[in-house]
Amino acid sequence: MFALTLQRVLRRLAAVSTRVVELAIAGVLILGLGLSSSWYMVEAGTRLTTARIGPWTTWTAAARPDADPYTRAHFANAGTLAVSSDVQRSYVARFDSAGERLHSSCDYQVDGRLPRADWWSIAVFDQRGRLIPNAADRHAFTSQTIALAPNGGFGVALAREARPGNWLPTGGAGRLAVVLTLVELRSPLATGQASTEADLPRIVKLKCR
Amino acid sequence: MPIVARRTSAFERRVQLGLIILIGAGILHIVATLAAPMMTASTPYARLAAVAPLHTFVVLPPVTPQSQPLPFLGPDARYGLCRYDTSNGPIDIVAQLPGKGWSLSLYTRQGDNTYTAVGQDGQSTVLRLQLTPVTERFLGLTPEARGQISETRTNEAPLSLPATSGIAILRAPDRGIAYRRETEAAMRRASCAARPF
Repeated sequence: MFALTLQRVLRRLAAVSTRVVELAIAGVLILGLGLSSSWYMVEAGTRLTTARIGPWTTWTAAARPDADPYTRAHFANAGTLAVSSDVQRSYVARFDSAGERLHSSCDYQVDGRLPRADWWSIAVFDQRGRLIPNAADRHAFTSQTIALAPNGGFGVALAREARPGNWLPTGGAGRLAVVLTLVELRSPLATGQASTEADLPRIVKLKCR
Repeated sequence: MPIVARRTSAFERRVQLGLIILIGAGILHIVATLAAPMMTASTPYARLAAVAPLHTFVVLPPVTPQSQPLPFLGPDARYGLCRYDTSNGPIDIVAQLPGKGWSLSLYTRQGDNTYTAVGQDGQSTVLRLQLTPVTERFLGLTPEARGQISETRTNEAPLSLPATSGIAILRAPDRGIAYRRETEAAMRRASCAARPF
C-alpha cells in the first residue's frame, strides 16, 4: 500500500516537474522570440519598413504622421529627430558596396553621380551617430560645398590621412556610418518612384591597415 | 490502447505549448514595439529642453563633436530651436525659408514629426503658423475675437495647426564660414511667441 502510494507520489512529482520545465522553457522562448523579433524589426528593419539600395538603407515612412510602430520605435530608440520622408530621405550605409562593415582602419572611395535632389549632403559618423573629431574639423559635404568631378559626378574619400579633393577624416572612430541626405522636391521619390542603385553612390574599399 | 491515448495527449500538449509560445511571443513583440517610444531613457525633446527655453527661438552654435546635442545631427546644417507648449494658449511661429536646404519642422514631445515645410530654390517663403491647443478647456477670447489684430498677422492668414507641446526646428544649410553671419541673421528673424488672451 505504502509502495503504491509512494509510486503514485513520485509519478505525480515527475509530471509536475515536467510541466514546470516545459513552462520554464516556454517562458524563455516567449521572452526570447518576442523581444528579439521586436528588436530586429525596430533596429534593422525589414522590407515592410525599409528600402535597401546597394549599401544604403532608408526608412520609408520616417517621421511621417502615419508611420508604422516599428519606424516610430526605431527613431525613438535612435534619439534623432528625422524629417518627414515626404520631403527628405536619409540613407545610412554601415557596409561598403561589397557588403563588408565600414571601419576606420580602412580607406574608402564614395563615388556617384549627382543625386537628383534640390539639396543634398553626405556626412560620416561613428556607429553611434557621433561626429568624429579631427584637426581639419571636417565632417560633411553638401551640394553647395562639394568639389565636383570633371564628369559631373562627385567623389568623397573616407580615410584617416589627408587626401586631395573631398576628404572626410575617419581616424580612430572604429565602425563607421555614412549618411546621405536628399531633400527631394523634383526627384523621382517625390513623384512616387523609388531611387535605384544607379542613383546612389557606391562605396568601394581601397585598402586596410 | 491506453498507451496510444497517453501519447496522443502528450502530442496535443506539445502542440498546445507551441501555440502558447507563438501567441505569447507575438503579444510580447507587439507590446515591446509599441512601448519602445515610451521606454526611451532620453528623448530628443528632453535633451534639447536644456538648450531651448520655452517660446523663444534659439540658434544653436555650429554642430561639432564637442557640441552635438543629438546623434546623427548633421554638421551640414545650422539649427534654430523653439520649445512650445499650448496649454496656456496658442503659439505663433513665424519663420522665413530663404531658399533650398532650409526647412521648418514641428515635433511632438515623443519625437513625431507633425509638420514640415521646405524652402524652394530662388524663392523666399514666409511661414506663419498658429499652434492651437488640443483641449476643450475655455482659454479666453483670441485677440481677433476681441476685434484686435495680431502684431504678427499680415494680410496672409496663419496656418492653424493643432498641437500640445513639442519643439519647432528651423534648419538652414551651413554653406561655410563666409555665409555664417548671413545664415544666422536670417535664422534670428524667426519668432515663436505665446499669444496672450
